[in-house]
Amino acid sequence: MKIFNVRTFLLLTALLAEAIPSFGADQAKPFLETIHHRRTLVSTIPDSGDLNPYAVVVAPVSAGRIQKGDVLITNFNGLTNLQGTGTTIVDYSPVTKQLTTFAHVPQHLPQCPGGIGLSTALTMLKSGWVIVGSAPSTDGTTRTLGAGCLLVFDSNGQLATTWANDNIRCPWGNVALIDNGSSATLFVSMAGFDVPPLQVRDPVTGYPVTVNKGTVLRINLSIPEGKPPVITDQTVVANGFGQRADRDVFLVGPTGLVMAADGTTLYASDALGNQVVAISEATARKDSAGTGRTVSKDGLLRRPLTIAMAPNGNLLVLNAKNGQVVELNPLTGEQFGAQWIDNNPAQSPPGNGDLFGLAIKPDGRGFYYVQDDVNSLLEATQ
Amino acid sequence: MALVLLFAGDVFASPPPKMGAAGDDRGIHGCSLLRGISRRSYGLGDICGLREWLSKYGGTLSFIETSEVLGNVSGGINRGPEYDGLTQAALQFNTQKALHYYGGTFNVSALQIHGQNLSQDNLATLQTASGIEADRATRLWELWYDQKFDREGKYDIRVGQQSLDQEFMVSQNGLMYVNTMFGWPMVPSVDMPGGGPAYPLSALGVRAHVRTNSWTLLAGLFNGSPSKPGADDSQKQNASGTNFRLHDGGLAIGELQYTYPSLGAMVREGKQTPKGRVYKLGGWYDSEKFDDLEFDNTGLSLANPASTGVPKTHHGDYAIYAVADQIVWISPEDNDRTISVFVRPMGTPQADRNLVDFSVDAGVNFKEPIKHRDDDTLGIGMGYAHASSRASGLDKDQSAYTPGYPSRSGETFVEVSYQYQRLVWWQLQPDFQYVFNPGAGVPNPNSSTGQRVKNEVVLGLRMNFAF
Repeated sequence: MKIFNVRTFLLLTALLAEAIPSFGADQAKPFLETIHHRRTLVSTIPDSGDLNPYAVVVAPVSAGRIQKGDVLITNFNGLTNLQGTGTTIVDYSPVTKQLTTFAHVPQHLPQCPGGIGLSTALTMLKSGWVIVGSAPSTDGTTRTLGAGCLLVFDSNGQLATTWANDNIRCPWGNVALIDNGSSATLFVSMAGFDVPPLQVRDPVTGYPVTVNKGTVLRINLSIPEGKPPVITDQTVVANGFGQRADRDVFLVGPTGLVMAADGTTLYASDALGNQVVAISEATARKDSAGTGRTVSKDGLLRRPLTIAMAPNGNLLVLNAKNGQVVELNPLTGEQFGAQWIDNNPAQSPPGNGDLFGLAIKPDGRGFYYVQDDVNSLLEATQ
Repeated sequence: MALVLLFAGDVFASPPPKMGAAGDDRGIHGCSLLRGISRRSYGLGDICGLREWLSKYGGTLSFIETSEVLGNVSGGINRGPEYDGLTQAALQFNTQKALHYYGGTFNVSALQIHGQNLSQDNLATLQTASGIEADRATRLWELWYDQKFDREGKYDIRVGQQSLDQEFMVSQNGLMYVNTMFGWPMVPSVDMPGGGPAYPLSALGVRAHVRTNSWTLLAGLFNGSPSKPGADDSQKQNASGTNFRLHDGGLAIGELQYTYPSLGAMVREGKQTPKGRVYKLGGWYDSEKFDDLEFDNTGLSLANPASTGVPKTHHGDYAIYAVADQIVWISPEDNDRTISVFVRPMGTPQADRNLVDFSVDAGVNFKEPIKHRDDDTLGIGMGYAHASSRASGLDKDQSAYTPGYPSRSGETFVEVSYQYQRLVWWQLQPDFQYVFNPGAGVPNPNSSTGQRVKNEVVLGLRMNFAF
């Protein structure tokens, strides 16, 4: 009988952290201060020519064509550089240092409304299934924005099934995952509910109109032996996030997600609100927490995107509006600092618009990230 | 996250249509010319599968057409508009994809220069109104191989035929302007043999790059002249760009750069964060022979009717320069909106062999001046070129024999330009320039009384297309 699992451990850790304030993240040395090297690993452009790397996920297991520790990356743009038309997931092997195409889906699938444009919503289950979101367009703008879907691939890159329903509208940011093997829970941010066309402007700001309809969807999965996962239920656990069309970056809305150490709280990046929020009881709640509780707002945050949890328990949050990753304490909201991981002076401010995906390395001594200005996977290490 | 902009990034012809890392775009399957044309990076898309095919082997292919009409509505030696055009083609191969060998890039580029040269025909300016002005030709431009030696991008060496304006003396903010001065500046352009190895010319050589945190060192050694030394017209003398000269003098150039933010720089919450900036300090030395500007080989003024007409010869020439690019304002509401300033002074003390002994260009750039025009830039810049004392000395000497002959001093211009990103692959750029004291005060050849060329108003429209 299994009497102690990871979830129990995380819960105990969180309880200890609550009971002893000096324990845990708030006393740990900022993770970013240990990071001193950045290396370009590989071009993320596959043979098909897809561009604009978004999601970065480290494979938790070896299965099929994937080896444990491989880095899976989605491309959001097709070979014309049109946003929302990318159809490939590539696989970088840290062992062979080679990039291969893991999956390549057709541009149009009848069961995927609007077509295919693979977003940052990517994850891999212990059972080997790879799940990815599509936030599609046909002309590279939100004028042709489709509802999108979630696609499920087997570990050999073959499309197994797709999920599309009224709760799924442009799965957008990085997925938070609780994986128990035969069952799993996904949290996916949705940024495509009733997004007005680019031309509809807010008379005050002059920018495209923001609608506060972005959500975070919890999807519980059952994973039968040898069969694709099945959705057992789904719940909108947060809603009301700002989302809007954008000329350069396609969509702006709720993006990054990561589970807290307590195993029940979910942290989310609210890009337009320029904040990181906490959604309490995210694994169990039956209703929406609205936009949650503000954990950290403004300061060093510049339109926060992907969130990951550093080994010291702090959150790493990528900025859209400069080339920085920000480290903050999820319990206190304190921002320890930010590090420039992209200083390309061709953008103003440097690195503006280049970052999106990030994943902690398996050894905890650094992280992988992508830069879409150079279509490359990089690593930052100690 | 941003759509990759073709024109954002690397340096290009002087001054450039800014051009991204070649081939960030492939095009579209098949030969559809219209699908996605409003958002794709290249106007021709995939060229019927060519770009996708090249991509499999690590190859990228890009074409940039710059077409412009500029004209002076006042001043000058003649008036009226003229068309000028440049087609640039570049092919690059990345060895990682082609050969599974990290860090190698092979590059070859060519130019097709068409149209007319307004500055030569109408303006008689030192600082030519357009950076693409050159003799009509179809020519090889660059041909080099670059090898990185580490994955952090700290060391690399480039060997082959190179155009120095692509890496040296570059102001990132100056790249948007139309006037030549903001690309390859006056001091090297006028003083180096043949105008130096810069658009549309190049020279064989080797360039090393070393970077450590905030500091970068660029150093190169090149053939001292891009064409036969002493040629009246270096572009005509090396008409196809394939002279591949190696046995002339040497041109050594070095540049130390300071960049903030550097990769890995930390920022603290609550502390004043410096805004992005790049400072550069450099110098060059060319060991070629250089003619004296005022005196002949017997010590007489070249203006003296008794002169041999053979200038005194000097050995070697050098200059130093500095470049500063600095962001000064970032909109708190929208970080895309920024104001940057730049300045680039340079000079040489060797007035006896250099027509221009000091030049400076500077400006202010407002990115996204109109809200939600994220990729537009409004720029207000100026340039100044000072004629050396020997050059003006020759004019004074001449005035002894031709009463009233004007003496050259300095030429100044201001430029106002708006770069409008119509589509990802198409830029429109209305441009205004006003030139004070054209040619630093040269006499108008069309004036019977030897008057100087009058100040000029130049208006124009440039368009850049990425195909």
